[in-house]
Amino acid sequence: MKKQKWKSKPIQKRVPPKPAPQPTKPSVYIIGDRQIVEEVLPAFASADYSLHYRINSSSDRTVPSTHSSKGKQELVPENVTFALELSNLDLELKRRNLEFLDRSLNPSAVIISSSVAVSASEQSSWLGHKHRLVGCAALPWIIGRPLIEIAPTPFTTTGTVTAVQSFFRSIGKEIEIVQDRVGLVFPRLLCRVINETAYALQDEIAAPQDIDAAMKLGAGFPLGPIEWADRIGLDQVYAVLKALHTDLGQERYCMAPLLKQMALGGTWWHRTQVQTDERSEA
Amino acid sequence: MVKHLGVVGAGTMGSGIAQIAALAGIEVSLYDINATVLRQALEKLKTRLRSNVEQGVWTESDLNETIERLHPRTRLAELSHSDIVIEAVIEDLRIKKDLLRHLEADTKPTTILASTSSSLSITALASATRHPEKVLGVHFIGSPVNGGFVEIVAGEGTSAETIRYAQEFLNHLGKSSIVVHDAPGFVVHRLLNSFFGESLAIVGENIADHEQIDRIVKLAGSFEHGPFESMDEAGIDLCLQISETLFAQTMYDPRHRPHMLLKQMVDSGKLGNKSGAGFYSHVNAGK
Repeated sequence: MKKQKWKSKPIQKRVPPKPAPQPTKPSVYIIGDRQIVEEVLPAFASADYSLHYRINSSSDRTVPSTHSSKGKQELVPENVTFALELSNLDLELKRRNLEFLDRSLNPSAVIISSSVAVSASEQSSWLGHKHRLVGCAALPWIIGRPLIEIAPTPFTTTGTVTAVQSFFRSIGKEIEIVQDRVGLVFPRLLCRVINETAYALQDEIAAPQDIDAAMKLGAGFPLGPIEWADRIGLDQVYAVLKALHTDLGQERYCMAPLLKQMALGGTWWHRTQVQTDERSEA
Repeated sequence: MVKHLGVVGAGTMGSGIAQIAALAGIEVSLYDINATVLRQALEKLKTRLRSNVEQGVWTESDLNETIERLHPRTRLAELSHSDIVIEAVIEDLRIKKDLLRHLEADTKPTTILASTSSSLSITALASATRHPEKVLGVHFIGSPVNGGFVEIVAGEGTSAETIRYAQEFLNHLGKSSIVVHDAPGFVVHRLLNSFFGESLAIVGENIADHEQIDRIVKLAGSFEHGPFESMDEAGIDLCLQISETLFAQTMYDPRHRPHMLLKQMVDSGKLGNKSGAGFYSHVNAGK
């Protein structure tokens, strides 16, 4: 019997199984005023989106986290399904941002745009694809709350509204749909109270800290109106009040001269003090 | 240090102030022109105090000592020894001026005269007296028994010493206070009128309904209550009255114009929680 020569079998290279193709994460693109953009980012911490943002008057950046897209840092990635335009301070820049998004995005992508300083309907007149725009109440502090107001325009399709509802739910926010008017609901209410506070300060009715204490202890406000103005920024309050006065054309939105002076002078009650102190320390 | 307090008017505000002062160890003379109103107010006050004994907040002896410090009066002259007299009568400039004039004549020269007026000018009230430096406003926000906040209103002639005295007195009662200058609506009513008025304007323009606005204000603004819930609680008639007074006192400044929705609600008898219906139905409230 012929001895069978043992022959080793060639070692088969273990080829790891091919991973199943991962579904591409939907991308979200955010652009706007620094404070609002920075305050909306934490909402995406646990959401499954590829996140890209750009701050007005600053260089393009992607988020340095697992949410960032790798490789080429595109201005607007191709697979963006939702874009948030969160500018209130410079409406010319806002218009350029929206026109840029409208040109760059796939027509099926949705644009959610802050409509506290200009109505969503007016913004839609700047776009070729009007159906995809929905307004929202975006101001610093307010953008971080658990509820966001949205305002569809007469051109917004039902599909867009449904998509926006699902989008905000996916980042843990409740929504309330309101009619499209400058300031929507809470920004309008709050800025009106801040304006009246500025009149009270101008008339020297009480000291700033006393007004805050009065409204918290006597009226159940969670923050005093001056604290709120500091937190939101008088520049943002100014933008909303100016839009309300222009849009609604009523004397009751006439801005307190003190507020106007402080906002245009780039100063506001406490925040300026903090910033000045920081600068002097530096 | 206030040892003797005089309170004029035994309504909710007056009897509430009398209650907290007596609890704070101050001898209180509670005056009302109507002996029946006075008797009923004292009965109600004693019932309120007794419920605290039943709940174990105070002892029977605390209750008896507090009641002993409350003295019903039906003659203004019986307030003569008061260190401070607080008037809490109807919001009528003429009636309050007459009252202050009589009080000044009936009390000792050092007595401070205070008004709880929420809408009248303290400077105008003080003009009825010879010593406006001793006159000031103490505007309690909400019920003095449950509320913890007071606007001390300085009229044009009110002295710094009078204000300090009032601050110490309110501090002794456990009330937080701020000093405001005499201006229509002072601070809280003036700013609340903007807040409520704007909420009504938003409803009037069909931007959102009252339930939506309340939800937005609570969730997007972190308020405990929405503006329409608050108006129902405070009384829609009171909100309208504050708004109308502010509008008139600012010589019809459009910023303070009352919203017609408030007037419609009042005209239709929807006054809020107290009438069983306001912006919300309160039919089952309290049942």
